[in-house]
This record gives sequence, structure tokens and C-alpha cells, in this order.
Amino acid sequence: MSPFQASRNTARDLLRPEVLASLKNLDLVARSVVEGVMIGMHRSPKFGFSQEFAEYRSYNEGDDPRFIDWNVFARTEKTYIKRFLGDTNSHLMILLDASASMGFGGPPVSKLRYAQFLSASLAFLAARQHDAVGCMVFDEEVRDYRDPSTRSGKLQGVLHCIDSATASTGTKFDKPFSKFREQVSRRGLVAVISDFYCDIEELLAGVRPLAWHGQDVVLFQVLDKEELNPEFKSNVLLEDLETGEAIEVAPQFMRDAYPQRIRAHIDELKKAAAGIGADHVLVNTSDSLDQALRNYLLFRQRRK
Amino acid sequence: MGLLAPLFLLGVFAVALPIWLHRLQAQSSDRKAFSSAMLLETAKQQVHVKKELKYLLLLAARILLLVLMVFAFAKPFLTVPPNAIISTASGTHLVLVDTSVSMDRAGVFSQVQAEASRAIDGAPADALIQLLSADSSMRVVTALTNDKSTSRSALGSLSASALRLDYGEVMSAVERLADSLPPPVTLHFVSDFQASAMPVRFSDVVPAGIAGFEPHVVGTGEPFNWSVDFLRDNSDGIDVGLSGFGDRERIANVDLLLNNVVVDSRGLSQTGPHVLHFDAPDYEEGENRVVLRINTDDDLRADNNRYHVVDNDPPATIPLLTLNADSLPVTYLSAALESAGDYRVEPMIIGEFDPRVLSRYRWVVIDEIGFIDQQLEQALTEFLENGGNLLAFAGDRAASLESLPVTGHRQSATSVRPQAGDFLAIGQMDVRHPVLSGTEGWQSVNVSRSLSLDVPDGDEVLIRLENNEPFLIEKRVGQGRILLMPASLDNRWNDLPVRPVFVSFIIESARYLSGVNQIPKTYIAGATLPLALTGNSSGQVVDPDGNSVLSLADTTREQQIRLNKPGFYEVYTPQGETVVAANVDPLESDLRKVSQEVLDRWQDATGGQPLAGAGSFNAEEAETVELWHWVLFLLALVVIAESILGNMHLTPRRMERA
Repeated sequence: MSPFQASRNTARDLLRPEVLASLKNLDLVARSVVEGVMIGMHRSPKFGFSQEFAEYRSYNEGDDPRFIDWNVFARTEKTYIKRFLGDTNSHLMILLDASASMGFGGPPVSKLRYAQFLSASLAFLAARQHDAVGCMVFDEEVRDYRDPSTRSGKLQGVLHCIDSATASTGTKFDKPFSKFREQVSRRGLVAVISDFYCDIEELLAGVRPLAWHGQDVVLFQVLDKEELNPEFKSNVLLEDLETGEAIEVAPQFMRDAYPQRIRAHIDELKKAAAGIGADHVLVNTSDSLDQALRNYLLFRQRRK
Repeated sequence: MGLLAPLFLLGVFAVALPIWLHRLQAQSSDRKAFSSAMLLETAKQQVHVKKELKYLLLLAARILLLVLMVFAFAKPFLTVPPNAIISTASGTHLVLVDTSVSMDRAGVFSQVQAEASRAIDGAPADALIQLLSADSSMRVVTALTNDKSTSRSALGSLSASALRLDYGEVMSAVERLADSLPPPVTLHFVSDFQASAMPVRFSDVVPAGIAGFEPHVVGTGEPFNWSVDFLRDNSDGIDVGLSGFGDRERIANVDLLLNNVVVDSRGLSQTGPHVLHFDAPDYEEGENRVVLRINTDDDLRADNNRYHVVDNDPPATIPLLTLNADSLPVTYLSAALESAGDYRVEPMIIGEFDPRVLSRYRWVVIDEIGFIDQQLEQALTEFLENGGNLLAFAGDRAASLESLPVTGHRQSATSVRPQAGDFLAIGQMDVRHPVLSGTEGWQSVNVSRSLSLDVPDGDEVLIRLENNEPFLIEKRVGQGRILLMPASLDNRWNDLPVRPVFVSFIIESARYLSGVNQIPKTYIAGATLPLALTGNSSGQVVDPDGNSVLSLADTTREQQIRLNKPGFYEVYTPQGETVVAANVDPLESDLRKVSQEVLDRWQDATGGQPLAGAGSFNAEEAETVELWHWVLFLLALVVIAESILGNMHLTPRRMERA
């Protein structure tokens, strides 16, 4: 085994959920994930911000002066902004579902904690590329909200917003998303991180307007392995974390019928996402986080 | 503590039910949180049997509830010792005095009182003393006391009765009494110890629970007594059996008294058994009081008179309504009724019969009910409603009628007659009925024809033929009754009149319908005279001393009286007046004592037999306090607790389902 291979494996081991769970600092988790992802990629991913030149446009008040092409200014004494591929994705909004069902899973990490890692990693990755990052934590209502910004120090606020989310009550997409649309006017990347235990039509009612307004929507569906392949040896009384409803289920059902139902639900969600031009990424909390992130980045690259 | 119904304790096994139920659970005990029930499907309901029990407090309440219920059904009780009984080191001294008729000998009862007094004085100072007397039954004269003067003074109230004493019976009563007395119990028995009072089994005179037995023999010396063993009257006269006890040859004179007048006398030259015959005296009409009196100065005067009642009633006239006084049914009925000597049949032609005379008779006979015309039917119905009775038979005339007069029985349309030459036998009989209980030989009766009648509810069929048709019916009309045989006695319908059972049947029917039951006229003193047998409990009884036995209240409710005195008792009932005689039991007349050997054996055998549970009080006499009321109250409290606990446990389940 080469030293490089060994170091890469060691770094990836560090990104396993159980290892990340021991890290209390979400910033550190995000850094570790992103660095781990970068180590594994052959070339830098283009996440939202592209280094390839696309066009010039006149500088308008409010634009970042760092992007003024000074060479053009020297020649023409006019200020122009260089625009690059992916410039339309310069905003990243992370919509994190903090409903009670997200508290399911583990050990070592619950779905919510895993979603927080994922959110932080996305935020760090975007900030690393100087994209504006904001976040909204929601369940039935909007619990916390941070405007997207590229200013230094804003990332810490976003990470704190993500880190402070706790699982509670049920999930609704219409009301929080409606408010979200009122807050965000610029187009960008919207990452919705949830388990999506909801009616698909209800979800689409919230997400579809975003897509129609030009937002690039990505649905990260975070599920635990116990949800994907539950294993029970006897009848068990399962209590819904959100509604409190208790249903006794047979092991045969959980072994045979339930995986088919969850798979059908995932497929339906994926189909619905595709229908509105959104991406759907299934994230298994038992997978290492960099793997999940890398899969998504590769997926985005293939789409471009 | 005891249980009146301990078998109910088996119900305790029912506690297994709540224990098992508490191990059952409709839902799985494994409860897990799950992200969403959106995709789940409820499994088929299963009952899970758990190893561990749940809701232990509720289970305990339910088990307690069942146990209390079982306990309440088992009827627990506490026995509380009576306060009157106090313990003493010297125990109890029972002084039992024989007051049977044999103690009525001259000078003997004063010996009895002296011996009893000596027994009382001889008891330890701290001993409890109880004075008892016994003849045909044992009586407590004084309560338990250590005051000897009380017991001594009570002796003065004792006197000899006219009743017999059986040592076996009285010792059995002593045994039951001793069971409840503070031990040790010493029995002082003051008696003449007649051999004739000993029971067949010697063990019957040995009471358990008696620590000491002291016989006090009175009436010592060679007894001399004459007594009457029996007195029988018959058509030839009166036969009397006498016995003389004692070696002394002393003359005795015997007088026969009829209604208080000496009608004959005899002399007896020596003791021993004698049988005397007296010619039939000239009895007066009605009941005659016969007394055989022994005139002698023997030891026991109480048995010197023998009382007897001779009935000399004229035969009662029975009107027999018929169309032909020379017919066969009249002949048969007259012969049967007059054979008993108590009845005289007077045939009366129906057409000439004046219904107004019916009220003179208790009952009438009619050989063919079909000949009753409308006027006679009305009179007979009135006669029956006022308490008269009717014995009726049916014949060809009745067979032609749709329904019978007076009885109202309709002939059945489904009547099936036997073929010519065939006979029906008697099928079922109510042998408990007074008319039939004393008859035998019905199975030999052959019936070739009878009316098939519809028997309405309320009528009683006493005899059925083998084809289930009624052959003797009893019908109540008002206060009277009808015995109806739906067949003729003219030899063509059946052969009953020529069978031996016919006479007994007619005689029993006559007794039944006349309302006069045959009761014995002579009793042994101490026997019970059933007043109900005389027809009605309402009445009065006058004893040989001329005193009324029944109080005013008892005249309508007393069902029997005890004949405690020898002599004639006059019994007055709504049915009339009768006289019964009571005599001293001849066994009491034999004054010979038990041998000294038997007495020693009796004394040796009695005592030193501790009674089971001796030293404690008698459970029968101790006060019993039933506890089931309290158990029921406790049960009610547990039910409330169980309801509260059950509701508390059910609430979370309801919330889960909600």
C-alpha cells in the first residue's frame, strides 16, 4: 500500500459518521469533510462558482470589487466585472429540516446530526469558493434563518445556526418555504436537507415555486439504515416520533413489504424532483460523509 | 374461626385467571421510536404471553378481590364463648333426678330429694352445680351455679310425672349437655334404676365427657306392684292382661268401670300374669269410657287404672240415589258400605227424593249420575259448595249425554272402546291418595267399558286405565268434592264389584268423604296427639283433670298436644267431639332394679372418657359471629380500589390510541 493510499484511507476513516460524531466543533467537521473530499477528487470540483470565463458586464454598485477586471479598466477606464461559469449559483441556501423524525437514527449519529454535518460541509465548501451561504432551519415553522452572505464571519453564524438545530414537532413544507421565498430574491443553489416523510404533492407545492423562480434545488434525502432495511425478529410497537401514533408491525412486513414501500417512496420523490428540474440525492447515514458529498459533486459535474 | 361452607374455598383457584390475564398483552411489549409511521402497516392483532407480570398493584387488587369473594362465599365465622360459663378447678357437678312415674311410689320421692341434696352438699365448694330432671325428656332445673342453696331449694319444685324414663335417651342428653360445661363433669344420678328403663345396648347409657358417675339408688327393698299389660274390647267383651310384681302374695281386686260405673269386679289371689275376660257391658251410644281399676295397696298407685275408649256410634245413614232400589249397583254398594258396620245405606229413588234433606248428610252416593235432573243438579251443586261430598258412578244414561250433570265433564270425542271381549286393566294409580292408599288388588280388575272424559285442569285423576283414560276422578266444587267413577257397577262395564278391592275402596271412599279419619283412641302417657288428624287444628283439649290444655291463641294454631297425664282427654274440633285415653307406660310398672353388677359396670364405664374438645366451650352453644358481612364490606373497598387502579392503567392506553 502506498503512503498516499494509506493517508487517504486514514483521512476517509476520519470522515466516518461515528468519528465525526465525536467532534463537537461543526466547523472542524466541515473542514475535515471538505478537505477529505478534495483529497479524493482528481481536480477541484466546481461547486457553484466556476473559474472558466463566461462574459463581462458593467460593474454595478454592490458588486464585489474583487471581481473587477483591472486590466480592462486600464485599457478602457471602464469598470467591468468578469463573469464565470456557474456564476448564477453564487448563492447557497441550506434548508435544514429539524422535525422530530430527523431525530431518528443512530448510534452513532442521528439523521439530524448527519444532516448538520452535511449542511456544514456544504456551507464550508461554498464559502471556500467565496459563495454566499445562508441557511434556514425549519420544521412546521421557520425556526432559524440566516441571510446568504460572503462576508467573513458570516460562515460561523451559519454554522451556529445549523449546529443549534434540534429535532422537534412535525414537518411542513408549504409555510416555511413560502416564507423562504419572501426572503430570497436572487437565484442560487437551494439545498433542502430532510427525510421527506411527507406527501410528495405537499412537498412539490413548496419546492416547485423555487424551481420556477430559477433556483437550483437539490433535495438531500437523509435516511438511516434502519429505515432502509429494518430488522426485527418479533412484533414490535413502533411509535411515530412526530405524531406519537403507535403501530404494531410484524417482522415479516418490515422485512419484505416495508423496504419496497420506502423504495417506492424514494423513487416517487426522485421522479417528482426530476419533474421540476431539481436534483435528488439519497444519503444513508451509515455512509461516510465525504462519500455522500463526493457522490453529489460528481453527480453535479455529470449534469454540467 | 371456622367456615360454614369450606368447599367454596376451591374457588381460590380462580386467581390463576387474573395472573394469566396480566401476562397477556394485546400489543407487543417491545416499543420503539420510529421516524414515521407513514409507510407502516398494522400487523394482525396478536395476544402475547409475557413471562413477567405487569400492573402488579392492579393484579394484587384483583387477586384480593377474588380471594375475598371466595372467602365471603365460604361464610367465615367466629365462635365466641358464652359469658355465662366460667372456669373452675373443681369442674361441674350435674345432679340428675329421675322424675318418671315409677318414682311416684310412696315415700320414694322424699328419698330422691334427700339423695339429691346429699349430692349437692358433697360437691366441692367451688364446683359449679346444675340440677336436672328427666322423664321422657331431660330438663334443666337450675342454671350453672356454685350456690348450693339455690340448687337445694329447687329440689322442692320437683315431683314425679306420669311419663317414662329411658336411661339411654337421658344419658345421650347428658352427653350433649356435658359437652358445653366446664370440665371435669361429675354426674350424680338419683333414680330407682329400673331394669325396664335400660336400653338394649349397654353402651347407650355410658355418656362421653363425664369424668365421674355416682349413682344414687332410691326405693330400695322388694317392690310390690300390680299393673295392666293390655285391655282389648271386641264383640265378645273385654280382655285384660295383668301382671303382679313382688313375691308377696297379696290379694288385689279388679273393677271394670263403664262411664264411671262399676259393671264388674274380680279378685286376684296372687301376683304374676293374669288374663281376665269381661262380658261385653251394655255400652251407651257413642263413645264409652272404660276403666280397669286395680284396688290394692301396692307400691305404685299411678298405674292402677287402665283407661280405654269404646266407640258405640250407630251406623251413619248414607243416602244412595238411584232409579231402582233393587238394582245390582245398589246391592253392591250397600253390601260394601255396611260391611264396615259404620254405615247404613238408605236407597232413595231419584224421582221421589226431596233435595231439601241433603243438608242432613255429609255425603251421598249416586249409582248413575246421568239420571240427575236439573232440579237435583242444582240442589247437589249447592250441597257440594257448602261442604257436602258426592260419590258418583256413571252408566248407560250418562254415556248418552254430551256432558255429565254436576261434574260438567264432557265426553271425549277421541274415546276408543276396547273390542268386544277385550278388557282394559288398571294403568296408573295415585297410591298416596287416602282413598287408594289402603286398597290392594286393583290389578285384578277388568274394565270392558268406561266413559272417556275430558278432565279439565284442577281435577285430579286418581286412577287411569292402561289406555290412559280416567277411571276415578276427584273434582272439587266449592268446599265439597266429588269422587266420580265413569263406569257402571252393574257387572256389564267391569268386574270391580265382585273383586275384593271393591269393599276396601268403598269403605275408604266413605271415610274420606265423611271427613272422619280414624285416629287411635288409646295412647301411652307422653305420646303426642295430632290435632290435625281430627280434622282441623281449631279446637280445644280438656285434660283428665278438667283443665283446658290449649290457650286461646293455641286453639287455632296448635297442631298437636302431648298427653302428659293418664286418663281421658276430651278433644273438641269443628268436626265434633271425641275422647282419647292415655295410660302409664307398662314398662314403668315393672319396679325391679338393675343388678348391682350392671350398676357397677355402668359406674366403671362412665368417667375417664375425655370428650374431644373438652375444656373448651361447646361450639353449638357458643355464640357464632358470622364474618361475611365484613368480608363483603372489604370486598366493596377492593372493588373501588381495583376500579381506580384499572382506570389509571387504562388512561395511558387510551391516550396512546388517541
